Amino acid sequence: MTLPADPATRRPALGLPAGVGNPVLLVLVIVAAAAAAASGFVALAPNRLVSGRPIGLLSAAGAAPTIAVAALGALLLAAALLPPRKPLHAAAAGLAALLLLSTLAAAGHAASTIAAAGPAARVSLGAAFWAIAACAALAIVDQMQRLRAGPALRLLTVLAIAGGFAALALAGTFDQLAIAREYATRHQLFAEALGRHVALVAGSLGPALAVGFPLGIAAVRVPRLQGPLFAVLNTLQTVPSIALFGLLIVPLSALAAALPGLAALGVGGIGPAPAIVALVLYALLPIVRNTAAGLAGIDRAVIEAARGMGLTQRQIFYRVELPLASPVLLAGLRIVIVQTIGLAVVAALIGAGGLGTFVFEGLGQYALDLVLLGALPAIFLALGADFLLQTVAALLPFRARR
Amino acid sequence: MVVAGLTLLLGALPAAASPQPVVVASKIDTEGALLGNMILDVLAAHGIAVRNRLQLGPTNIVRAATLAGQIDIYPEYTGNGGLFFRMEKDPVWKSRVRGYAEIAKLDREKNHLIWLAPAPADNTWVIAVRQDLARRDHLATMSDFARWVNGGGRIKLAASAEFVESPSALPAFEASYGFRLSDRQLLTLAGGNTSATLRAAAEGMSGVDAAMAYGTDGAIAALGLVALDDDKGAQIVYAPAPVVRAAVLQQYPQIAGLLDPVFAGLTLATLQRLNAAIAVDGEDAGSVAADYLKSRHPPP
Repeated sequence: MTLPADPATRRPALGLPAGVGNPVLLVLVIVAAAAAAASGFVALAPNRLVSGRPIGLLSAAGAAPTIAVAALGALLLAAALLPPRKPLHAAAAGLAALLLLSTLAAAGHAASTIAAAGPAARVSLGAAFWAIAACAALAIVDQMQRLRAGPALRLLTVLAIAGGFAALALAGTFDQLAIAREYATRHQLFAEALGRHVALVAGSLGPALAVGFPLGIAAVRVPRLQGPLFAVLNTLQTVPSIALFGLLIVPLSALAAALPGLAALGVGGIGPAPAIVALVLYALLPIVRNTAAGLAGIDRAVIEAARGMGLTQRQIFYRVELPLASPVLLAGLRIVIVQTIGLAVVAALIGAGGLGTFVFEGLGQYALDLVLLGALPAIFLALGADFLLQTVAALLPFRARR
Repeated sequence: MVVAGLTLLLGALPAAASPQPVVVASKIDTEGALLGNMILDVLAAHGIAVRNRLQLGPTNIVRAATLAGQIDIYPEYTGNGGLFFRMEKDPVWKSRVRGYAEIAKLDREKNHLIWLAPAPADNTWVIAVRQDLARRDHLATMSDFARWVNGGGRIKLAASAEFVESPSALPAFEASYGFRLSDRQLLTLAGGNTSATLRAAAEGMSGVDAAMAYGTDGAIAALGLVALDDDKGAQIVYAPAPVVRAAVLQQYPQIAGLLDPVFAGLTLATLQRLNAAIAVDGEDAGSVAADYLKSRHPPP
C-alpha cells in the first residue's frame, strides 16, 4: 500500500516550535495524559445495573502498572519532540504497541485487585482506559504511515499486538473485568454467536455479489435501466431492517411450508433465512453503485484504443475495464463487508443469532458490558476484514501497474 | 419446468421420517429467556425432542412467526391480547380471569393456539419510587401516590414516551386514582426501557425519584426502589403463560400437565428473584431456570 508522504514528516505544522518532529504524536500523548489525569481508568459498580464509581489509574492499578504506562507515555513524548527519522518511527510504533498492551494489562490488574468488593460487583473500563488505548492505537497507525510500511510489516504489527493480547488473556489477566465476567457466563454461546455472525456475513456476500455485480454492469451498458434500478435499491436501503425482517416472515414461511425439503435445509420465516435475504438486499446498493461507478469512470479513449488494437468486447472487459475499475470495485467490497458485519447485529432480532444477541440482551437489561461483549467483536471483525481487504488490494498485481 | 421439478424433488425428501422436534421460542428479553428455558428444560426432561429458538426477537416478530407456524410453543402475556386483536380499550384485559379466558378463546378459535395455565405473577406496568422516599412519605400503593401528588408532594417520574401516552398506561393510572402529572413532573425517555428508567430513579438523574417499571422486574429491589401496589386495578393484567400450537398439543398432550405446575409456582416475588439473578447478578438464564426447576422438583 503506497500512501502519499505526509507533509508533517517534512516540515513542522504551524504554531509548533521548529524541530518538533511529530505534532500528531504530540497531540495524542497530551490527550492520553489529560484523560488519565482527569477521568477514571476503571469504574467499580456494586452490581451490573448501576453506574460505576470512577477510580483513577494509580489507585486502581497500583504503582508498578502506573509507572509502566507513564514511562511509555514519556518515551512517546520524547519521540514526538525529536526530529523525525525512520528508526525513530519504528521505535515509536513499538512503544505505542507496548503502551496499548500495558494499558490492557493494567486494566486487568486493576480489576483483579478491586474485584474483592463482592460477587455481584463489577469493574468496567473507564474513560481514561479508552482514551489511552485509542491514542496508542492511533499512534501506531500514524507511525506506520510515516514508516511507509508495506502490507507485510502492517500485518506483522497487527499479529504481534493480537498475540500479546491473546497471551495476556490466556494468562487470566482480564478475568475479573466486567466484560470478561459476561463472557465467562456465556463462553459457549459466544463461540456460537461469533461463528454464526461470520456465517451470516459470508452467506450473504456470495449471493449479493452474484446478483449485484451483473446488475452493476447492466446499469452501465443499458443507461435506461439506471433510473428504475437505483430507485428500487435506494428504497430498499431506507426500509428499517426490523420492518424488512417482519415482512419476510410470511413469504418465507409459506415457501418452506410448500417445499418441505427447503424447510429441512433450514429455510423458514425465522432464523438465518430472512436475515440473509435482508442482508443481501441491503448489500446490493453499494455493490451495484460501485460496480457501475467503477466501469463508468473509465476514460472512453482507453476503450477506443483497445478496440482500435483489435480486442473483442469480451477481451476489453476482462483486460481493460475490469482492471481499471478494480480499485473502485474493491472499495465497494470493503464498504459492503463492513456494512454487512454491522447490519448482521440486527439479525439477532429475527432469531438468526450472531453477536447481536448480546447487544440486544444487554440493551434490555441496561448491562452495558454485555452490549460491549457483542459490539466490540463486531467492530474488530469489521476492522479485521477491512484490513485484510486492504492488504489484498495492495498485493494485487494489476494495482501496481495502475 | 425446472421449478416444477425442484418442487417435486424437494417435496419428496423425507420430512416426516422422524417426529419433528417441538420448536420452543421466547422473546428476546430477560424474562423471555427465563420462561423459555423453563419450557425447554421441562419438555426435554420428559423425552420430548425440542429445538431451541429462545430469545428470538421482539413481541411482533415472535407473534408473527408463531402465526406462521414457525414456532410451536413460547411464553406470552395475557394482556397482550388487546394488542393482538386490536382491542386495547376493552376493559376485559384488566381482569386476570376474564382476560385469560378471552385471549385463550380468541387464539384457539382464530389461530389454533392453546393458552396453558398462566402464572400468578403479573408483569404489568407499575410505578416504582425510591425506598427512602416511600418510607419517609408512606407510599405503598398508587392511592398513596395520588394523595402525595395531589397534596403538592415533589415527584419526578422517568418513563418511556409509550408509557406516558398510551391510554392503558399512565393515563389509566391518572384516571383511576384521580391525579395528573405535569410535564415538569415527567422525564420522558423516547425509546426508554424499564432498565433505563429504573436506573434514572435509583441514581437520581435530573432529579428523578420515581420510574415506570414492570411488576416482575428483577432490578426494582436491587436498585433500592419499591413498586407501588395498583390497589384499584387500573392496569391491564399481564400474566405469563405458555402458548402452544393446537396440533403440537394434540401430538404431545402431556405438555399441559408438565408445564401447569411449573407456571403455578411463578409468583410475583419468585419471578422478581429469578429475574434479578439474571439481570443484577449476571447469571445465565439457562442455569437460573434449571436451578428453579430443580428446587421445585427434586430429581428422584
